[in-house]
Amino acid sequence: MEMDKLGVITSFIHNIVVYNIPLLYGTTGEILVEKSGSLNLGVEGIMAVGAIFGYICGCYANSLGVGIAVAFLAGALCGLLFAALTVSLQANQNITGLTLTTFGLGVYFFVGNGLKAQGWPAMNDYANIKNGFADLPIPVLSQIPLVGRGLFSHNILVYLGVAIALGMWWYLNRTTPGLKLRAIGENPGSADSVGINVTRMKYLHICLGCGIMGIGGYYMGLNMSGSFNSSCWINGYGWIAVALVIFANWNPALAIGGTFIFGFFNTLRVSGSSLAAAFPGILGWLAMIPTQLYQALPFLITAIVLVVSSIRQKEGSGLPAALGLNYFREER
Amino acid sequence: MGLRIVKRDDCPLWKKCCFYLAAVVIALGLGAALLASLGVDPAAYYSRMFTMGTIGNKIAYKVYINYLKEWVPLALTSVALSLAFKMRFWNIGGEGQFIMGAIAAAWVAFQAGPVLPVAVSLILMCLAAMVVAGLYGLIAGVLKVKFGTNETLMTLMLNYAALYVLTFLGETKADWNFFLDEKSVRPVFASFSKIVSFPSIPMGEKFTLNICVILTLVIGAAVYVYLKYTKQGYEIAVVGDSAGTARYAGMKVPKIVLRTVFLSASLVGLAAAFKVGTAGILSTSITDDVGWTGIIVAWLSQLNTAAIFLVSALICVLQYGSTVAAATFSQVDSSFANMLQGAILFLVLAADFYTRFRVVLVKKGGKDNGNG
Repeated sequence: MEMDKLGVITSFIHNIVVYNIPLLYGTTGEILVEKSGSLNLGVEGIMAVGAIFGYICGCYANSLGVGIAVAFLAGALCGLLFAALTVSLQANQNITGLTLTTFGLGVYFFVGNGLKAQGWPAMNDYANIKNGFADLPIPVLSQIPLVGRGLFSHNILVYLGVAIALGMWWYLNRTTPGLKLRAIGENPGSADSVGINVTRMKYLHICLGCGIMGIGGYYMGLNMSGSFNSSCWINGYGWIAVALVIFANWNPALAIGGTFIFGFFNTLRVSGSSLAAAFPGILGWLAMIPTQLYQALPFLITAIVLVVSSIRQKEGSGLPAALGLNYFREER
Repeated sequence: MGLRIVKRDDCPLWKKCCFYLAAVVIALGLGAALLASLGVDPAAYYSRMFTMGTIGNKIAYKVYINYLKEWVPLALTSVALSLAFKMRFWNIGGEGQFIMGAIAAAWVAFQAGPVLPVAVSLILMCLAAMVVAGLYGLIAGVLKVKFGTNETLMTLMLNYAALYVLTFLGETKADWNFFLDEKSVRPVFASFSKIVSFPSIPMGEKFTLNICVILTLVIGAAVYVYLKYTKQGYEIAVVGDSAGTARYAGMKVPKIVLRTVFLSASLVGLAAAFKVGTAGILSTSITDDVGWTGIIVAWLSQLNTAAIFLVSALICVLQYGSTVAAATFSQVDSSFANMLQGAILFLVLAADFYTRFRVVLVKKGGKDNGNG
């Protein structure tokens, strides 16, 4: 009996990681985009596009690698569209991003419903996808009681997501291109005047960031075991990612922690009742909380973070100063 | 030789219209290519979509009535949002304000509907929706004025807070929850369409014109006049152009911002009251995404009220028509409308560039050829 209760905790921790890493992809991708000074509100749509094309191509090729690559490319293509419109053609970023969301969700349902009518590929029929997405325990660490299996036994995409986040932190804070990118986000005019190619840097990082979001979408599709129904796989995760960027203070390393905090509430929503059943004494009250509160919490917390950071003004804030503003050289 | 981008100050209206028209035509062409590749005759599909299946339809009047039901919330929300956008206040919280307005209107409908005369109930519903939605919008406004909090992100967060309040009301069976149907075991929203509902005026043989359509047109005209001919409207334009200039001219910028944000959000609330008062029931998808689409409509129309009416009417044709066409052409999912809408917007945004800028050829090493 006692072991069983520990099992509930372990699987709770495991679920926090498994079901919320797509958020980390969305968030790190958006951080890269926002650090270049562009506010892309199309995360939801880009993740959806990455999800559908990654899933379908991955299944047909029977390869997880192809799925990841296609999802990345599909996301990067959306990024290219966003960059072409906002960087070269000076279109409003909010509008372009929102349109990308509408368009991306349209593509998702159009392709998905169209294919479903002809025969939907089931992920479990493709051995390489199924095995590729299986858990790979890290030796020794995964043997730690209680938290070992929860934290250190996951599929390859979890490790990739964490590696991308840590790599991005290093890139932004410890390399010259990263410094240049942050300079563009703060003041593109000054960056331009010291010889940084603003346009090229923006294109590159917007595409890269959107590609990362695309992989997050693919992960989400695999998580939902790829069954296609009336609601989108991404189901609002793209918007939570936009919130998480603020919560993580535009820091990809902090985004890992932020993902776990938002993921904690997300997982409580799903398995709060099983925790309450396992520990009726201490956690029995969990069953009383309406699930909608857990759903709203990421947004409420982010709203509070936004207010607090604006009261404290710029001090230590990672908000790029030129976020959302287009750069037009002639107006420098 | 190289390319250089130069701002242009004057782009004649006819030229702008040509650019936009070209954008729409190209988008429709891309859509046609996609349809053809699926083995669907694009001409047949488009004609079905754009006529919304009214040709040869004996109950075409029903199509018009349903169409207008979709158009009213979208048009009014777009008009409302354009007020804030004109001031460069990025109110993307239309969804949240709409939801809050809808809840307030439904609240009044359930509480006052059975006791008060219908007309009084309806007016109270509108007022309650306007006040609640206005105050909800004001949260972001106050924070912006007081602390400089980014209003785009703030209103975005508040959208979801409102959405989950609504789903909470829709999914929680409890004694206090009068929003739900008592007879149903599963939680479903109760209908109040038999208690209060906006009246329709019979016109012609069968067609009836809902009073909300007329009200929307009147409010749109009023907003147009307000923005163009009143002192307050002028203040909005000045603050939008440059808050510094406005301050220098002695305008009380915070007061103007708060007033306009409240007005913008409360008109979104009114749109919600119209929607709820016509539908007679709440739903978790009560907004039909008008808060999002409204942003796009307002921007596409360049915040011009008359253009908003036209653009929202077209977007509604696209959306309503594609659901009608999806019934005939089973290979084409109704999400085709969203893709087409996205494609049109991308191309219009691109065309917009050529109305604001021109690309000139410059000789290498310096001076442009005199067009700059």
